[in-house]
Amino acid sequence: MPRGMHKSRTLRRVYRKAPGGAVKLHYRTRKPKGASCGSCGTTLKGVPRERPKKMMNMPKTAKRPERPFGGVLCSKCMRSHFKSEARKVSVNV
Amino acid sequence: MFEVGRLAVKIAGRDAGKVCVIVDVLEGNRVLVDGETRRKKVNPKHLEPLGQLVKLSKGASHDDVKKALKPLDIETQDTKPKSAAERPKKQKVNKKELAKDDPKAKKESKKEAKKETKKEEKASKESKSKK
Ligand SMILES: [Zn+2]
Repeated sequence: MPRGMHKSRTLRRVYRKAPGGAVKLHYRTRKPKGASCGSCGTTLKGVPRERPKKMMNMPKTAKRPERPFGGVLCSKCMRSHFKSEARKVSVNV
Repeated sequence: MFEVGRLAVKIAGRDAGKVCVIVDVLEGNRVLVDGETRRKKVNPKHLEPLGQLVKLSKGASHDDVKKALKPLDIETQDTKPKSAAERPKKQKVNKKELAKDDPKAKKESKKEAKKETKKEEKASKESKSKK
């Protein structure tokens, strides 16, 4: 029988093959949802999917792309943002 | 569209949102750019042209670009020289003199002393067991 704490679904279940050939059930902590773009909602690339404690110990440069709006907007939305901004300026001139 | 002297905004990469001037049009769909951005070869897809032109000669140097952009209140980014800073030279040390008051040397001498005490203990134990 599984332990009481393993009966709930708080922990993720992973099947692992033991060296003897038997398949064993392991329990792992779940990962949070991946970061998503602020305007279109696609999952962001270059932003790791880790628990806060692990993110805390990571350097800033490992947690987001090094560009304006990195880690907030996807590259497509960032480009369209700056494009529209530039067009506004050129109209005024 | 992309001629020498055209002002543009970079819309991709870490210089996105910065204003630059086209300095040169290169082969193979590339453009040399300088200004708020670093002096760089750039794909014109990563640029959004502005409706302004600056008087520049083809392949103008960074200083010329600086002068041309000053009346427009656009600050240029100066790249630092690439030569590495000088390393502090290691001073030659007389090892014999250092050994007297070096903490490492002291440790070693302590280790040796410990070894000797261990040997003595062993010898005493052996003698006891013989008895
Ligand atoms: Zn997006």
